[in-house]
Amino acid sequence: MGWEETQVRGYEEFVRTAQRYHGRPIFALFCGDKDAEGRSWCPDCVTAEPVVRKELQNLPDGSVFIYCLVGDRTYWKDPNNEFRRNLKLTGVPTLLKYGTPQKLVEEECFKAELVRMLFTED
Amino acid sequence: SVQAHKEEKSQKSMEMNGLTMAPDSYDYDLIVIGGGSGGLAAAKEAAKYEKKVMVLDFVKPTPQGSSWGLGGTCVNVGCIPKKLMHQAALLGQALQDSRKFGWQFTEEVKHNWMTMTESVQNYIGSLNWGYRVALRDNKVTYENAYGEFVGPHTIKATNKKGVEKLYTAERFLIATGERPRYLGIPGDKEYCISSDDLFSLPYCPGKTLVVGASYVALECAGFLAGLGLDVTVMVRSILLRGFDQDMANKIGEYMKEHGVHFIREFVPVKVEQVEEGTPGRLKVTAKSTTGNQIIEGEYNTVLLAIGRDPCTRKIGLDKVGVHINEKTGKIPVNDEEQTNVPYVYAVGDILQDKLELTPVAIQAGRLLVRRLYAGATTKCDYVNVPTTVFTPLEYGACGYSEEAAVEKFGEENIEVYHSHFWPLEWTVPSRDNNKCYAKIICNIQDNERVIGFHVLGPNAGEVTQGFAAAIKCGMTKEQLDSTIGIHPVCAEV
Repeated sequence: MGWEETQVRGYEEFVRTAQRYHGRPIFALFCGDKDAEGRSWCPDCVTAEPVVRKELQNLPDGSVFIYCLVGDRTYWKDPNNEFRRNLKLTGVPTLLKYGTPQKLVEEECFKAELVRMLFTED
Repeated sequence: SVQAHKEEKSQKSMEMNGLTMAPDSYDYDLIVIGGGSGGLAAAKEAAKYEKKVMVLDFVKPTPQGSSWGLGGTCVNVGCIPKKLMHQAALLGQALQDSRKFGWQFTEEVKHNWMTMTESVQNYIGSLNWGYRVALRDNKVTYENAYGEFVGPHTIKATNKKGVEKLYTAERFLIATGERPRYLGIPGDKEYCISSDDLFSLPYCPGKTLVVGASYVALECAGFLAGLGLDVTVMVRSILLRGFDQDMANKIGEYMKEHGVHFIREFVPVKVEQVEEGTPGRLKVTAKSTTGNQIIEGEYNTVLLAIGRDPCTRKIGLDKVGVHINEKTGKIPVNDEEQTNVPYVYAVGDILQDKLELTPVAIQAGRLLVRRLYAGATTKCDYVNVPTTVFTPLEYGACGYSEEAAVEKFGEENIEVYHSHFWPLEWTVPSRDNNKCYAKIICNIQDNERVIGFHVLGPNAGEVTQGFAAAIKCGMTKEQLDSTIGIHPVCAEV
C-alpha cells in the first residue's frame, strides 16, 4: 500500500487533515512558509526538508505524511499561536509522529539516523 | 538467510570454546545490560570517549501485563510518576487550603484518575523517546532485548519476538535493577498489583489495601489517600525499616490523622476475587503476627509493596562465574564496582550494601566509566547521600539516623538538637501546628560535627539538598548556628 503525502497550510487545515486520517500512522513536518521562489523564511527548515524527504521511503505501509506550512515569521514568533498552544510545538522545523510524544526538533531533524528511527521504530 | 545465521552461530561457538580473543576482535568495548538510571548514564559517558557501546533493555511484563519503555524503574514506575502523583495529591490539599486564603469556588472539587494518569504517561513517553534519541545521537546501539550471559565475554540477546543474537564485548556492566516482590500466597499474582502496575492503571484503583511499610508503600498510600481514595496500610511490624524510627513514627501518625487506616501486625494469607471489574472487588484474609487472630476485608485493589528483588538470577551469571549473594540476589562489588570477574562490573539497585537511589546509580556509573576509559581515579562516595521520602508529610534525611549514631558513637557522645516548626503557609488554613519537625545529630567528640540531618515538612527534598552539601563539607553545630536563616521559610529552623 505504501505511504502518501498531503500538504497543508495553517493550523485549522492541519487539524482537519489529521482527523481525516485518524487510525493511520501520521507523521508531520512543520516548516515556515515559503516565498514565491519556494524559499522558507526558516533557514533550519531549508536544511531539514531534504533530509526528511530522503527518509520518507522508510515510512511504514499505510502511513500519512503531512507537510505543514505553519505561517509567516511574525505569526510563528507569537508565543500564543495555535501550533505552540495546542500542539506544544517549540520550534520549526519539527518532525513528529502524531498522537505520540515522539518528535524531533530543529537540528535533530538534520540527522538522517534520527529521522529514520522516528519513521521506522516503535 | 537461515543458513547464514547458522554459520555465524557456529563460528561464534568456536571462538568461545578455545581460542582466546584479542580485545579488538570483540563486537563491543562495553555491553550494558539494563537501560535504567545507572546503565544509561554509563553508556552515554562511555560513548563520549568514543567507545563502541551497546545497551540491552527489556521489561518482562508484570503478572497483570504492564510493561514500559526505555529508562528503567525511576523514569517509568518509580521516582518520576511517584512524584507527579504525590504532587497531584498536594494540589488537592492546596485547593482546600485556598478557600481560607480567599479563593471562592462553589463546585466540589473531585479528582479524575484517568486525566492524571494519561498526563503522567505522556510525560514518561517523552522521556523514553528522549533517551532513545540521546543514545542514537551518541552512537550507542540500543536493543530492546533480554540479555543473558552464555559464556566468557559473550551474551545472548532475545527480543520480544524470540529472535536470539549473540554479542561479545571486552567489558560488561550489569545494571538490571529490581522488581517488586510478591507474597507467595494464593491469589497474589492473579489479583494484586504492584508499583509496576499502579502508575499506568487504566482505571481508578478505588478502595485500596496497601501491603507493606516500605517507603514505596507509604508514598503510594499517601498520594492515593490524598486523591480522595479510601486507603488502608497493612504493616507486618515496623514502618520504614532502616530509617530513623522517631521520624518514621511521626510520618505514620500524620498519615493516620489524615485519613489513612493502618492495620498493624498482620500479614495477608489469601486474596480472593469477589467480583470481576475495573476495579473489581477482592477479599483479603489476614493473620496476626502475634497470635491466632484472623481478619477479613474487602477492597477494590490490593497493592503489594513489601520489597524489591534484584534481577540477577536469570541472566546467566553462573555461566561467567559472577558471584551473587544467594539469599538476596544482590551482587557484591569492590569499591570500584567490579564483581569477582574482572571484566564484569555492576551498578545501581542490584549492588550489595549500597543505597538504592537513582542519583547514586548515575554517579557510580559515570565515575566507573571515567575510570575505565578516561584515566580518572575518583571512586563513588556512598557516604552522606541525601534522600527524601515523599509521604504526605515529606521527610528529608542525610547522614546517620539517631539509632545508627548511637550504635556507632555511643549515646553519651552524640547530641541531638531538635525543634517543631509551623510553616507560615499552614497558619492561615489552620493546618497542624506541631507536626513539622527537624533534628540534627552531632558528634560531640569531633567538634560537634553534624553527622545526621532530618526534616519532616513541606518541600523536605529541596531543604535537604543544601544541607547535604554542608554535611559533606564537614559542617559543625557552631557553623550551623552562625549561619543566619532565611525568613520566613521552613529551612530557617
